[in-house]
Formats: sequence, C-alpha cells, structure tokens
Amino acid sequence: MTEMTISSGEAVLFWILAPLMVMGALGLLFARRTVHIAVAVAGVMVGLAVMYIANEATFLGVAQVVVYTGAVMMLFVFVIMLIGVDSTESLKETLTGQRWLAALAGVGLLVLMGAITTRAALPAPVGLAEANADTNAVGVARILFSDFIFPFELTGALLITAAVGALSLTHRVRLGAKFGQKEMAAAKLKAYGAGASSTLITNRPNPGVYARHNSADMPAVDAAGEPVEASITTVLRIRGQESNLPSAEELADAGRPYGQGEEPAAVPGAADERKELEQ
Amino acid sequence: MSILNYLVLSGILFAIGGTAVLVRRNAIVAFMGVELMLNAANLTLVTFARMHGDLTGQVIAFFVMVVAAAEVVIGLAIIVSIFRTRGSASLDDASLLKS
Amino acid sequence: MFVAPHIEWAALSPVLILLGAAVIGVLVEAFVPRGSRRLVQVVVAALALGGALVAVTWRWTVVQQDGPSSLVAGALREDAPALLFQAILLILALLALLVIADRARGEDAFTPTASAIPGSEYEGQARRAGLAQTEVFPLTMFAVTGMLVFPAAADLLTMFIALEVLSLPLYLLAGMARRRRLVSQEASLKYFLLGAFSSAFFLMGLALLYGYAGSVHLADIATAVPLVSGMDGLLLAGSALVIIGLLFKVGAVPFHSWTPDVYQGAPTPITGFMAACTKVAAFAALLRFVYVVTPGLGWDLAPFLWIVAILTMVVGTVLAIVQTDMKRTLAYSSVAHAGFLLLGIIALDERGISGILVYLLAYGLATVGAFALVTLVRTKDAEGNLVGEAGHLSEWAGLGRRSPVLAVCFALFLLSFAGIPLTAGFTGKFAVFGAAVAGGDWPLVVIAVLASAAAAFFYVRIIVLMFFTEPATGEDGSATTVVRSEGLTAVAVVVCAVGTVLVGVVPTAVLAVAAQASKFLL
Repeated sequence: MTEMTISSGEAVLFWILAPLMVMGALGLLFARRTVHIAVAVAGVMVGLAVMYIANEATFLGVAQVVVYTGAVMMLFVFVIMLIGVDSTESLKETLTGQRWLAALAGVGLLVLMGAITTRAALPAPVGLAEANADTNAVGVARILFSDFIFPFELTGALLITAAVGALSLTHRVRLGAKFGQKEMAAAKLKAYGAGASSTLITNRPNPGVYARHNSADMPAVDAAGEPVEASITTVLRIRGQESNLPSAEELADAGRPYGQGEEPAAVPGAADERKELEQ
Repeated sequence: MSILNYLVLSGILFAIGGTAVLVRRNAIVAFMGVELMLNAANLTLVTFARMHGDLTGQVIAFFVMVVAAAEVVIGLAIIVSIFRTRGSASLDDASLLKS
Repeated sequence: MFVAPHIEWAALSPVLILLGAAVIGVLVEAFVPRGSRRLVQVVVAALALGGALVAVTWRWTVVQQDGPSSLVAGALREDAPALLFQAILLILALLALLVIADRARGEDAFTPTASAIPGSEYEGQARRAGLAQTEVFPLTMFAVTGMLVFPAAADLLTMFIALEVLSLPLYLLAGMARRRRLVSQEASLKYFLLGAFSSAFFLMGLALLYGYAGSVHLADIATAVPLVSGMDGLLLAGSALVIIGLLFKVGAVPFHSWTPDVYQGAPTPITGFMAACTKVAAFAALLRFVYVVTPGLGWDLAPFLWIVAILTMVVGTVLAIVQTDMKRTLAYSSVAHAGFLLLGIIALDERGISGILVYLLAYGLATVGAFALVTLVRTKDAEGNLVGEAGHLSEWAGLGRRSPVLAVCFALFLLSFAGIPLTAGFTGKFAVFGAAVAGGDWPLVVIAVLASAAAAFFYVRIIVLMFFTEPATGEDGSATTVVRSEGLTAVAVVVCAVGTVLVGVVPTAVLAVAAQASKFLL
C-alpha cells in the first residue's frame, strides 16, 4: 500500500470550488425564491461532481451530473414551475424562537461534524490507483455485483414503489363520457345559443403587442381602448402577473417622434364605434 | 491540503442542509435541504473510499443516488398533491394537525 | 477478479415470496378488471404473508439444526433472533392486512382515488363509481418486504435500503385516508419530510462508520473496534447518528414529533400496521446494531441512550394522559412503549433480546387489535349519516353498554398496554425489565415502573369511561355508533385478543422460544 499525495492542482481546485459550493448551499438558508434555491443547489451538485472526479471517482462524478443535476434537481425545478415559479416564502416565523433553536441546532451540528473530522487521527490516505487499475467503472461494478448484489436487487423494490406511488397520487381514471374537442365545440355552441358571449366560440384574442412590449403578459386592446382580459393566459392572470395597459399618455408618447411636445390627439368616437360594432 | 478538507466541507454542507430542514417553512426547500445532507454524506463516503483505497464507499454513494431518486419521486408527488389541494406548499399552512 | 456471489435462494425464500407478491400485485392493477381487483389483491397478499410465515418457520428448523449462517455475500444474517422477529412481523402484518382489507358498511378506510382533490366533484364521482385505491395492497407488501429484510440486515447499506423500502410505501399510505383527507395528506408530508431527514442522519452515520472501519458490515466494524485507534470520534459519532436514524423510526423522544400527527392522520388500519410492524422492524435493527457493534462503547453511548429512554418513557406517558383524541392517546402510549423497549436495548444482556421479542409480540397484538377496534367506532350525525371515526375520547363514553364485546376487547388491549398481570403486556414488561435489572440498570427500571403505573391511570380512565359513564350525545345530535365489520376485522380482533390472553396466561412457551433466540450471529 503506497501512500498517495494530493497534487497542488487539486488543492487549487478545492479552494476555488469549496467556497462557491458553500455559498450555493447557504442559498438554502437565505434565498427567498424557490427557483433561485433550486439552481443554487444544482450548482452545489455540479461542484460535488467535480470533487468526486478529483477524488478518483470518475463514474460517480458522471452519475452525479446525470442523476442529481440532470434528473433530481430538474425534477425539483419542474415541480417549482408547476407550483408557481415566483412563489416566495415569507421568512416570518410562526413559532417564536423556533428559528433560533434551529440555528442553534445547526451550529451544534456544524461543531460536531467539525470536531469529529478534524480531531480524528486519520490514517495516511491510500489512494485508488490500484483499485481503479481496470478503470473506475469496472472496479465499481465488480463490487456492486458481488458484495452488494442483494441491496442492488432490493433497490428494484424501491423504484417500483416510487413509480406506483407517483402514479396513484396523480393518475386519474376517466369517469363518465370522454370530453374531447368535438364535445367541447358542441358545448360552446350550446352555451352561445343560450345567450353567452360570442368570444366563447371563437378563438381568444392574442395578447397585445406594442412597440415597447412584446411579451404575452400585455393584454390586447379592444376598439374602445379597454384591455381584453381574455387575451392573457389564465396562468398569468391567476398569478397576477399580467401587465397593465399603458395609460393613454404613455401610448401617445410611444407613437410620437421624440422631443415634440404636441398634445396627442384624442381618439374621438372610439367608444361610439364600439357600440356600433356591438349592435 | 489533505483529504481532511473534503471531510470538513461535507460537514459544513451537512450542517447547512440540516439547518435548512429545520428553518425553512416551504416543503420543497426543506426537501432540498435533505438532498444536500445526502450529498454531503456521499462526499464523505467518496473521500473515505480514497483514504481506504477501497471502492466500497463509491458503490455506497451510488446506491444513495438511486435511493434519493426514488425518494424524490415520492416526495414531490406528495408535495404536488398537497399543493393541488390547498394551493400552497408551505408547512405552516399544513398545520391542521397541531393540537 | 470478479467472483460471482453465491445466492442462497432457499434462505431468501420469505423475502422473495413477499417481493414476488408485491410485483404480482402491481401487475394485477394493470391486467385484472376493476371489479375483481380487490379480491385478487387481498388473496395474493394473504397467501404471500402466510407462505412467508411458513417459509420462516421452515428456516427456523433449519437454523436450529445447522446453526446460523451468512447470506448473499454477507448482506443478510440468518440467525434465531432475525427469524423470530420476521415471524412476529409476518403474524402482525397478516392481522393488519385483515383490517386493511375490511370494508365495514361497504367502504374501506382508503380514499376511492388518491389523485382526486379532496372535496372535488371528481372525488364524488369516484366514490359513486365505487373506485377503490387497490394499490394499497402491493404497497403494503413492499413495506413488509423492507421490514422483513431490516432485522436480518448484516451490513449498514442493506439496512439503509431496507429502511427506505419499508418507509416509502408508508409515506404514501399515510396520505390515503377516506375521510379527513387534508389531515391525512398533511400526515403524509410530515412523515415523509421527517423520515427523509432521519434517513439522512442514518446515512451520515453509515459514512462515518465506513471511514472508521473501511467496511459497512456490522461484523467488520465490530472487529475494528478494539483494533483501530485514533478515530474514536468517528466511531462514536457514527454509531450515534445511525442510532438516531433508527430512533426516529421507533418514535423515541426527542425524535418522536411526527408520531402523534402521523398516527392521527393516517388511515386507521395503516396506523395499526405501522405502529406495530415498523416498531418491530426498527427495534430489531436497533437491537442488532447495538448488540453487535457497540458493546465496546458501553460507557460512551450509555448516557445518550439513558437520557433518550428516560425522556421517552416520561414524555410519552405524560402527554398520553393529557390527550383528548383516541388515536393521539394511542400514539403517545406507543411512544411510551418505545421507551420501555429501550430498556432491553440498554441492558446489553442476552435476556434483553428475548425480552424485547416477547414485548414486541405483546405490544404488536394489542396495537393491531386496538386500532382495528378504532376503525369500527364511528360518529353518526343527527340525520343518522356516518361521519367518520369517533376520534374524541368523550365519544367513547358508555360504549360498554352498547357493544359489550367490542368494549371488553378494547379494555383487554388497554390492560395489556398497561401491563396488568394475566395479559401479554405483563409478560413483555416483566421480561424486558428483568433483562434491564440483569444488565444493572435498576434506576431505569424504577422510572419505568413508575411510568407504567402512571400510564395505567389513563388506560383505566378510558375503561371507566367506556363502562361506567352514560353515553353522550353531541349538541348537534351526533352520536357514536359501532359499525359491523365485514368479518375480517372481527377475525383480526379475536385473534389479537386470544393471543394477548394466551401470552399472558401461559407465558412459559413463548418465553422458552424467545430464549432460544438470545444471541446474534456476529
């Protein structure tokens, strides 16, 4: 068993990565937006992958990128998107003193972990040059399929449980008749026949696109200059993310050559026009 | 620089993850704290594998990834089903049980 | 070079039967028409549990003859305690399965479909269409598989995977109650987060022990203890973290905070199942870990375990006394029982193992039985509609007059919890306390006896409430009623009651079997 040495390149890598990772991890404690936290944690995971490779665990490093960063953290991001990407968390505490207790517990944990690791007289590291002789993946596979074949098979149960569980929590059996495109059209016409607004049967209007705004959160304007609610997707409306229509002055400003202080001509008769249209 | 550095780093990450679980009120954030703790344990395992010159530690870390993947599927399914019910993933809203 | 591991298929048969049944259960969901799914699922599950019990019995005779052995490259140990724990688990799981499968008044305890938003139109449709969440059965089988591996796991990794295999289905099952679904979903989330938190601790402990010994096999760690020097911190902290991870599952104070909420929120048959079986599995693993790895650590870990045991007994008992909800009362009482059981762990004495075996059998029978009865006692509103289970203690008043058989059985289980002579609980307490005295922990035994006496107070209070109080009618005209079970629950309750009495009246047979299982294979 020869003793291994740690190259100075690895030391440089560590001292660059470690502070970045700790900063990313601290996002868990201090960032307000869930998405920011998820991305920060994903960053920590990538940092860990690099450290695994530095620690002669090539296979694990790649698996870390694929499984943790690529699958697990992206699943988190998906769910955050599903739940509302801009959900922030109120950092107000509901149980008084709970946060201090928790912080105390955290510091205790930190001291404990620090004390254990730094005070232990670790033996000289051996390094994995020998174990990795036939490449790291082969070495890992040999152990995986000999010593740990039973837990390996047992993880199958875990994966089936996960699939069954996720399905039973989300999959809905269709009850009653299928409500497809055709039925939807029929229902809309029926509602229109019963006196509902005509916007029900036509396409919804597109969102408004202006010289200064070309995003989907800007409502379209009807002939009277009023915003059309239906032109913005429901998701944005529920989240309260639709933009307000620019005021008449702003609109006029936008349409005028810069620097000419003319009063904008009002749009006379717009309201009358609309009435006519409705008749 | 010795392999001790890696152990200290994993200790720090573990403590931060643990604190996040205790402090944060959002289920998703708390859950990410758990993930960070698992990853910290993985770093410890990989470092010790190198110290012992034995790949067992790496194999265990690989198992942990599999377990974490399954756990994430279940956990997020539960969180999503709760969100659909109450429109929030906050642990404070989930407090019907407090007596 | 790669050496293909030798797999002892025969010795693995109990686990394989259950795993196979779980997978078949999943396939049944896919291929059997909806109408007959439930019946097929129940039959498959019951046959698998019965078959596994037979297999375990067979392996017991083999082990008695050939001695204990190590399986599949040392991942599992087949020894007398492991097999006995597995047998107890299977018996309790079979009884719990009967309660899970029962449909009193045509409704089981589970939501028609877990994907429906509570209170939504779709949920009503699903209920009227008679849907049933039959995935409950394969999930239960997966949980039992994990529990079966847990007591036999001989390395920490197998233990960790088994811990997850048993926990993940339970997280899901906890959220599937038919009534009060918000509370149920919340229980599911809480159980999940705290469970994942605790498994992270377990894993860190595993990592530190690996760093200490260079192996995760319990035997290798145990042999490393006297040899390796300079890393005692790793050993001590690693052991403590692993034990903390397991104590979470056991529900010991201060790691118990999930217990009352989850026990209350989960569907009652599942509460009975996990209260009994998870505790058996977790104590089996804890016992193996402590007895194999940490005997050399006695003095260093003892203060920690002492504090946990004392806190668990005292807090569990005191909080059980002040509860007003039946399921929460039983939850805190199960916390207190975890404290009594810890005495057998701390004893580090051969008699501790057999004591814990007997105690767990007694506790498990009474728990499954008591929760089975809780499923039958329902509240009826003024119009006579069933609203749900009668949760509040006051609703149990006067039950002894209306349904004497049920009340007598419930009283029997409570007396067994309290440890009154001639019930199984007494035998269990006697065995565990005896082991603790033999291990020289008499101050703990004094506290345990005092706590038992205090606990007896609230058990007796419930009995008094049932037999000597007038039945109460709520202000809104609601009343308590007892629904007839489909028969399965009744069978489970009767078996539990008979078992409780038998273990109490003729304890010698049980104690003799348990005494054969007093040594772990290193």
